[in-house]
Amino acid sequence: MTEDYVLKVEGLATHFSSAGGLVKAVDGVSFELRRGEILGIVGESGSGKSVTNLSILGLVQCPPGKIAGGRVLYRERDLLGAPEEELRALRGKDISMIFQDPLTSLNPVIKIGRQISEAIRLHHGLGRREAAAKAVEMLALIGIPDPERRAGDYPHQFSGGMRQRVMIAMALSCDPEILIADEPTTALDVTIQAQILDLIRNLSSRSKTAVILVTHDLGVVAGMCEEVCVMYAGRIVERASVDDLFYDPLHPYTRGLLASIPRAERAPEEGGNPDRLYSIPGSPPSLVDMPDACPFHPRCPRAMDICRRAQPPETSVAGLTPRTVRCWLHSGEGVDAG
Amino acid sequence: MKAPAFARNSIALSGAIIVGLYLAIVVVSFFWLPFDPVKMDSDHSLEAPSIASGHLCGTDEYGRDILSRIMKGTFVSLVISLSATAMGAVIGVTMGVWAGFLGGRWDHWLMRAADVLFSFPSLLLAIFVMAVLGEKTWNVVVAIGIVYIPQFARISRGAILVVKTNEFVRAARSNGAGSGFILFRHLLPNILVPIIVQVSLSLSVAILLESSLSFLGLGVQPPEPSWGNMLSAARNVMVIAPWTAVYPGLAIVFLVLGFNLLGDGLRDLLDPRLKNIR
Repeated sequence: MTEDYVLKVEGLATHFSSAGGLVKAVDGVSFELRRGEILGIVGESGSGKSVTNLSILGLVQCPPGKIAGGRVLYRERDLLGAPEEELRALRGKDISMIFQDPLTSLNPVIKIGRQISEAIRLHHGLGRREAAAKAVEMLALIGIPDPERRAGDYPHQFSGGMRQRVMIAMALSCDPEILIADEPTTALDVTIQAQILDLIRNLSSRSKTAVILVTHDLGVVAGMCEEVCVMYAGRIVERASVDDLFYDPLHPYTRGLLASIPRAERAPEEGGNPDRLYSIPGSPPSLVDMPDACPFHPRCPRAMDICRRAQPPETSVAGLTPRTVRCWLHSGEGVDAG
Repeated sequence: MKAPAFARNSIALSGAIIVGLYLAIVVVSFFWLPFDPVKMDSDHSLEAPSIASGHLCGTDEYGRDILSRIMKGTFVSLVISLSATAMGAVIGVTMGVWAGFLGGRWDHWLMRAADVLFSFPSLLLAIFVMAVLGEKTWNVVVAIGIVYIPQFARISRGAILVVKTNEFVRAARSNGAGSGFILFRHLLPNILVPIIVQVSLSLSVAILLESSLSFLGLGVQPPEPSWGNMLSAARNVMVIAPWTAVYPGLAIVFLVLGFNLLGDGLRDLLDPRLKNIR
C-alpha cells in the first residue's frame, strides 16, 4: 500500500512566535495522499488548514513561522529539510497550488497568456512561442472561449470565475502530481463554484492528479472527496472516508459541524431545539500557549474529566476504510463511550 | 497598437511635442546659433527684440544675443535634469525596492537615512551639497540627484510594500519562481506607474532646481549660459529691458509644462487598469 502514496505528512508542526506567545498553528498533523485521490481538509478559520499546505510547499514565512517538527515525504524525500532551490524546482511542477482569492492571485499588469506560459517556462526549457502555444491550449482546456484572443487580455478583463479557471490552468500547466486547492471556491458564487469544482474533478481524474481540497464547506467535501480530514485548533481531530464521516461521525466536533448544516428533514441533534439550526457553542480556542488538554473540551457537549487533563491520542477505529479520531470517547481508555 | 494609443492621448502627445521641440533646439544649437552666445558687443547692449537687427529676443547688458544664449542653455538644462533624475531614480528605486522587499533591519536603516535627507528643504540640501562639492556644472547633477534619492526610495518602497502582499506573489512562489524573478517580473512592473509619474515630476523640478542654483550663482558659471544665470543677470536690468528675463523664463515654463504633460499622459497610458475607462 505505501508505494501508492504520493505524499505522506507525518506529525507536521508549524509554530509562529507572536507578541502574545507561541502560536501552534499546526500541531502534529499526519495524513497520506494517494495517487489521483481527492482529499478534503475541513475546519473553521484559523484551524490550520492553510498553514498545513503552505508548510508542505515550504512557503511559510520564517520568521515569524517555524517548522517545529514532522516530515513531509514526497518521492522518498523530506520536503521540510530540503534546500530552497530543490523546493523551487518542485513547486508548480510536481506540486502546485491554487489560492482562495482569484481576484488578487493574478498579476494585474501581465497578460493572461504570459502568466500561464511563464509558469511553463520556469520548469520546462520551452521557448517563448512554444510556451505561449501551450498556454492557449491550457486556456482551451479549462473552457475559456476564444482562447487565442483572450490570452492577450489582462486579468481585469476576466470575471472572478474565469480568473480562478486561469489559476487552475496555471497550476495544472506542468501536469503536477499533486494539486493543493486552498478554498478555491470561497470567493465565487454558487453556480461558478459548481463549475470550478467540476473542472477540478475532471482534470484530476483525467491526469491522475492527487488533490488536497481545503474548504470549510462540508457540502463541497461530500460531493468531491473520498477521504476527509477534519481539523480543529491545528490538529486533525477526525479522519475518515466521506461515507463514514457523514453517516457515522465520531468526534463531537464533527457531529456539531454536521448538525450545523441546514437540512430539509432533521432530527434533534445533541439536545438542540428541532426548529432551530444547531450551532456549536463557544468559539475556537486561542492557539497561544495551549494547555495540555483536548482543545475542544470547553465547547464539547460530552466533555469528561480526562478531557481537561490530557490531550487525546490519535486512535484508529474500524470503518469502511481505516479511520482515526482524536477523542477520549473513542480512545479505549476513555470511560464509557455512550 | 502602441503608437496610435499614444497619438490618441492628447496630453501625452502635446507633452512629447514640447519636449521634442526642445530636443530639436539642442540638436540645432550644436551646429548653428544665430550669434556667438558668449561674445560681448557693447554697441548693441540691451537692444529690444527686433527682426531687423537679427536679435529676435533682444540682447543682454553685454550685448550678447538672448536667443543664442537660451538655445545654448537648453542643452545644459536638459542634460542636468535628465542625468540628475536618472541618478536619483536608479539609486533611490534600488534602495527603496531593496528595503521594501527585504524588510527588517535594512528597511529600518535605509528609510531612516532617507528621512534625514528628507528633513532638509530640497533647495537647501542642494545648496549644501554644492557648497561641499564646489561650483561645477556636473556637481549640480550630483546635488539634485542626492535631493531625489529619498523621494524615489520612499515611493518605490511604499509601492513594493503594497504589491508584495498581493496573493499573486505567493502564487508565483508556489509556481516555483525565485526571489529575483518575482522582484523583476512581478513586483517592478507593478510599481512602474508611480515611478514614471515621479520621474516626469522630477525632470521638471530638476529644471527648476538647476535654474535656482544657477540663479544663486552656485550652478552653471558665467559666461557659460544657463537659464538660471541669465535670469540672475537680468535681475538688475529687468525694469528697463524686460526681455532679458521674460524669454529665459518662458523657456523654463514651457519645458516644465512639457515634462508634466508627458508624465500625466504616460501615467494614463501605462496603467492597464485605466485603459478601458477612457
